[in-house]
Amino acid sequence: MAIPLVPQLLRNHLSELAEQNQRIDGRGQWESREIDLQTNVLPNAEGSAMVTMGDTIVYAGVKFQIMTPYPDRPNQGGLMCSAEVRPVAGRNWEAGPPSPESIELGRVVDRGIRESGCIDVDDLCIIPGEKAWQVILDLFAVSDDGNLFDAFALAGIAALRTAVVPEVKFEVSDTDRPLPVSKTPIMCSYHKVGGRYVYDADGREELGGDERIHITLGDNDNVHSLQKGLKGIFTASEFAEIMEHAKSRCGELRDLVHGSE
Amino acid sequence: MNSRPVGQLDNMSIESSADGPRDTQRTLVVVPGEDLGSSEGIEAGHGVLVVGDRIISTKQGKMSRKGNTVSVSPLHTRYMPRPGDLVIGHIEGCTNNIWFVDIGAPFNSILPMSLGPAKVEFGGTRKILDIGDSIICRVQEVEETHQSVVTMKGMGLRKIRSGALDELDPHLLGRLIGKGGSFLREMKMQTDCRIVVADNGRLWIDGELENILEVRKRINGISSEAKMIGVDA
Amino acid sequence: MGGYGDVQMIDENGIRADGRKAGDLRPIEIETGVIPVADGSARVIWGNNHAVAAIYGPMEAHPRKIQRQDRAVLDVRYNMAPFSTSDRIRPGFNRRSREISKVTAEALESVVLVEMYPRSKIRVEIEILAAEAGTRCVGITAASVALAHAGIPMTDMVVSVASGKINDVVVCDLNKEEDNYGEADLPMGILPNSGELVFLQMDGDLTQEEFQEAWDYNMEAAHDIHRIMVDALKGGES
Repeated sequence: MAIPLVPQLLRNHLSELAEQNQRIDGRGQWESREIDLQTNVLPNAEGSAMVTMGDTIVYAGVKFQIMTPYPDRPNQGGLMCSAEVRPVAGRNWEAGPPSPESIELGRVVDRGIRESGCIDVDDLCIIPGEKAWQVILDLFAVSDDGNLFDAFALAGIAALRTAVVPEVKFEVSDTDRPLPVSKTPIMCSYHKVGGRYVYDADGREELGGDERIHITLGDNDNVHSLQKGLKGIFTASEFAEIMEHAKSRCGELRDLVHGSE
Repeated sequence: MNSRPVGQLDNMSIESSADGPRDTQRTLVVVPGEDLGSSEGIEAGHGVLVVGDRIISTKQGKMSRKGNTVSVSPLHTRYMPRPGDLVIGHIEGCTNNIWFVDIGAPFNSILPMSLGPAKVEFGGTRKILDIGDSIICRVQEVEETHQSVVTMKGMGLRKIRSGALDELDPHLLGRLIGKGGSFLREMKMQTDCRIVVADNGRLWIDGELENILEVRKRINGISSEAKMIGVDA
Repeated sequence: MGGYGDVQMIDENGIRADGRKAGDLRPIEIETGVIPVADGSARVIWGNNHAVAAIYGPMEAHPRKIQRQDRAVLDVRYNMAPFSTSDRIRPGFNRRSREISKVTAEALESVVLVEMYPRSKIRVEIEILAAEAGTRCVGITAASVALAHAGIPMTDMVVSVASGKINDVVVCDLNKEEDNYGEADLPMGILPNSGELVFLQMDGDLTQEEFQEAWDYNMEAAHDIHRIMVDALKGGES
């Protein structure tokens, strides 16, 4: 990813805004942009979702493959999650092998979904030790105006929850069945902008901001993944504050996902 | 292969200056390749080509006819510098005697030490304007390659030290300014803000923070309104 | 092209499996401005094909070695998203995508007034989100609309469409089944105002007469597609 120029004036302005408890687009500190979530939007994916958050637009698609189970877990299938931010999504994204930024995106979303245990991997076994389903979740950004993390995580879990295991196509059985997804892990991301944390930063706030923290919470507010990214220092009390917000926000987003099914 | 006509550059056209994209009157929207009629007695302005005896549009935009010159101004476009344009730029880099300025155009602009805001010792460029600083400047000249030279010698040209920058698509500037600058004047009065509208679509807004936010709200209103109804409506 | 004659795709009344007549196109929808951060963009939904194109630039050409002193270069990337097909596509280098990117760039460079932007590049990003058949045609068409939307000067827009042969009958705009089991495929890039061509490929087996018939279908279809492109650029969102 090309490193964009950060105008000092933008940083100063964001600090002034923060001092007066304002944000650059008029939102409150913990307010998100308008979110639109649609599922089953792509005809060739076994599960899919599109998320629009302001000018950020991402897709998630689920595909299946038959794999040989790992020798130490002969009764389990697998989950693979990868994120791609191709140059279509913005001026600064470049072609070529995956950038560290897009690899981080994919891995953080992957951990949240994997560690929540939302997919019953035992149920993905076809013949123990020989054949099992591998679920592949591909996250694909079309327009990047900040906070791809939350957009990817939301699209990802929504796509998984509506995915159908293609048993007929792979001649495993004579009926397709829904992918067993029992939980709904949700990610909330916070950026340090003008010296304080805000929820759901947009492109300008990301450009003129500092470090970011990503929290994935499960159905019972259990913590499944955390990530601190970019250069910066944060305190325990700052973290406690955003964790409080994440607890209430995750519930709202979970309802949004369930409502889209 | 090389016989096909070469288009006229937007920024080289004499009469294209302010009225092109700023024309708020309802006009005909055309698309690339569209036949705009016979070329007999017609001068080809910017955004059109003469092919045989026909005038052909080369852009998606509004067709306009002034005298016997037909032109098409694009609805959407990246900013292309023209000599004399007032622009807001960010200092992107510098050498001992030159600053490189991002003015939102395809190519970097250069600000030579001699055209800078203050007297500079050779090698002292960063003390006057540092990387990440923003400036109001004027396009002095544009080369055929679209590379440009900007100057800070002139009234009101300076380093920006306070306030905020916003952006508006260049083709929407007309809506912000209004007929004869009426809309902009009114907004300045009502919000008690100083507003500089640069030709490259960047705006400098200075004033009390809450007033800056009010201006931003109105500018966003212009953008989303244009998106809702289409700028040609 | 395989499986000659194995699958019945067109009945004795000339009606294809999806209900179309030989010369009919699949339904096409085009919308501009779908990628807010780009300088120009378009989405084309064509049958079950779902493509987006984004334009960035003109901008300084990097790396230096691709720069041309007298004109702009089009940096075209055609890519299929991993979930766009029945079997997942592994991201990364792909010879098919490279070739399509190359021919797409050459087709579009024939209409874009590249002389106006020396030493710069215009990035054309084509992403296939769902593929049915004829994605290269969908991609070129989407890129043309996106270029116009970005205000890039062009002598005309390129309309791309393919015709082919199924069960020995020449038909227009093959769908997935017809593409898989058909006997020929002739994609073309047509300038609708002059009837000139900027892109041509073909594979399969056609007699001279069949070839002419497929050619004529494409020419006719190009006008219908062009009308949809113009509508998208003139109406609604701009």
